[in-house]
Amino acid sequence: MIRRREILTGGAGALALAGLGLGPARAAPSEVVVGVLYAMSGANAQVGVDARHAIETALDIVNNDHDLDLPNAKGTGLKGLGGAKIRLVFADHQSDPQKGRAEAERLITQDKVSAIVGCYQSAVSSTVSATCERYGVPFVCADSSSPSLHRKGLKFFFRPAAHDEMFSAAMFDFMDAMRNKGEKIDSVALFFEDTIFGVDSSTVQRKLAGERGYKVVSDIKYKTNSPSLTAEVQQIKTANADVLMPSSYTTDAILLTRTMAELGYKPKSIIAQASGFSEKATFDTVGDKLQGLISRASFSLDLAAKRPMIKTVNDMYKARAGRDLNDNTSRQFMALIVLADALDRAGSVEGPKIREALAATNIPGERTIMPWSKVAFGPDGQNVNADPVLLQYVGTSFVTVFPEAVAVSPAKWPMNA
Amino acid sequence: MTAQALAQVLASGLLMGLIYALIAVGLSLIFGLMDVVNFAHGEFLMLAMYATFGLVVLTHLDPIVLMPVVVALLFVLGGCAYLGVVRFAMRAKANQGMVQIFATFGLAILLQGAAQYAFGTDYRNVPGSWLGGRTLDAGGVFLPWPQIFGAVVSLAAFGGLHLLMSRTDFGRALEATREDQGAVALVGIDRNRVFALGWGLGAALVGLAGAVLAVFYYIHPQVGASFALIAYVTVALGGFGSVGGALVAGIVVGLVEAFTAVILPPAMKSVGVYALYLAVVFVRPQGLFGRL
Repeated sequence: MIRRREILTGGAGALALAGLGLGPARAAPSEVVVGVLYAMSGANAQVGVDARHAIETALDIVNNDHDLDLPNAKGTGLKGLGGAKIRLVFADHQSDPQKGRAEAERLITQDKVSAIVGCYQSAVSSTVSATCERYGVPFVCADSSSPSLHRKGLKFFFRPAAHDEMFSAAMFDFMDAMRNKGEKIDSVALFFEDTIFGVDSSTVQRKLAGERGYKVVSDIKYKTNSPSLTAEVQQIKTANADVLMPSSYTTDAILLTRTMAELGYKPKSIIAQASGFSEKATFDTVGDKLQGLISRASFSLDLAAKRPMIKTVNDMYKARAGRDLNDNTSRQFMALIVLADALDRAGSVEGPKIREALAATNIPGERTIMPWSKVAFGPDGQNVNADPVLLQYVGTSFVTVFPEAVAVSPAKWPMNA
Repeated sequence: MTAQALAQVLASGLLMGLIYALIAVGLSLIFGLMDVVNFAHGEFLMLAMYATFGLVVLTHLDPIVLMPVVVALLFVLGGCAYLGVVRFAMRAKANQGMVQIFATFGLAILLQGAAQYAFGTDYRNVPGSWLGGRTLDAGGVFLPWPQIFGAVVSLAAFGGLHLLMSRTDFGRALEATREDQGAVALVGIDRNRVFALGWGLGAALVGLAGAVLAVFYYIHPQVGASFALIAYVTVALGGFGSVGGALVAGIVVGLVEAFTAVILPPAMKSVGVYALYLAVVFVRPQGLFGRL
């Protein structure tokens, strides 16, 4: 393993040589170490396992030669770093913000990582981003969607994907569009878990509902990983809103769906803040009860019809993971692609230089696997061009139903007539 | 709140409470027998759920039919846990209590890790059961059949356990060992054998709960954790070692949890249970039916 000091010494030598006009390539490191921090054990371990497959798929594309129109796909390694390859170091945060902080520190100080990618749970990304900031190491937040994360004035935080305000705005845009078509949508029920993800998501939804004239008839914060959600479901059943808007991780998504069925409650419609409602496990377990569910997403396999490389990438991922890319894994994949692009342009493994390169990112949407218009970060590290889509679960797969420009079929509304 | 909604909360709390009681009773039994808190109790529940899942996939039989097999498997597991781990932990000359806690805690972590390694991290679901997904509509109050079945099994298990403890030689040996471990040796009762059988019985009871739960709950290496916490408070509330106390406390916990979720924000529903426990501690530190 190349130590950071050796890399820095090499880098300094390269700079000196560059100053003499003798060229920088000779002292370039042979590898760049990137930390990947997910829950690999505990209740959300499957997310970490899938994330690993997604990020390793991106690693394969960057390190080896692939005929795909993605940054760094063609040729091997990172050209800006003399063909250096990326090496990943995986760490397990067990969904615990404090373990996340400790593991991030270990990755930075012991494994000498140049950047960290993670962490799914917003609560964990919050502590990890603060740790990265302290050490001056960039944190590419792949898939945590809490809006508070990019509002802390962090310089080393970058999020290529949308946050929950953007996602929730898309949900309300969709409801407005359905209203304009003559559908009666007056009330919503918010049902959210009690960590930063659920709480931030509901705050945005509550605000948007007020601004756009939807009455919040049920507003329930529940304890995540509860053994039972019967009393909670009883309350949303009594409220019987036109649209149920859950923000739940996988265990709760399964339990919520099952409990609703047990209590004879069929919500008129569900628009979910993805997460557990985009996970294969949920649909394998209770998919028959979720026909017509709408979920926000960053990704849609439908886009493969217009951009065939998406199918190639999906096939590569599927060969590893045994499942299609989804909202989470597509973002995890893109996080490493975006980071590799910055590493390539930075021509350095030093945090501040990578940070500068990330801040100058400008990847057109067609060179991603997402429906985004492009990847370019604002001063807060948020990509404002990560346009979300809404997908509807029909049969055994998702179809894009909103926005209309990318929709492949009209939404079935309401979900349960 | 309408009368119907109130009846629903009451019924749901009662059904879950009876299942909580069934989960907790094995823990209470083991504690009563030998003053050891089994911190791997939740993992026994998890393994019972995986055993049910595996047997259903292998045999294509209904999980209800397979219940005795799961109970037998867990009985063996419980006996092995005692003979392989706890027996040695009890030999500690100093800090025996702490050694027992860490031994069973270590067993819990080991079983969780082994389950994740063997079964993966995906959420499993028993593919089909005659009861699965059926709900009884009692005048607008919905009672899921798997939970009704679980509640009936729980009551039957408590009845059976009572008979076993009061009417059989084995039950009397358990009771005698619990009263005075030294004295039973003098009358020819093998203490180790009684402890191993006691652990087997405790694990078999949680195995029964796991088999019931597998019909309507997801299965995952971590699934035991959330139920185990409830089991500990149930045992403490009912009185350590009291079988009847576990039944009453399980029902109380189920009801308090359900009603707290209605009165307070649902995220705080476990607050009601712990507040009640603290209140009981002031009056009866040994729990509702615990012996001093």
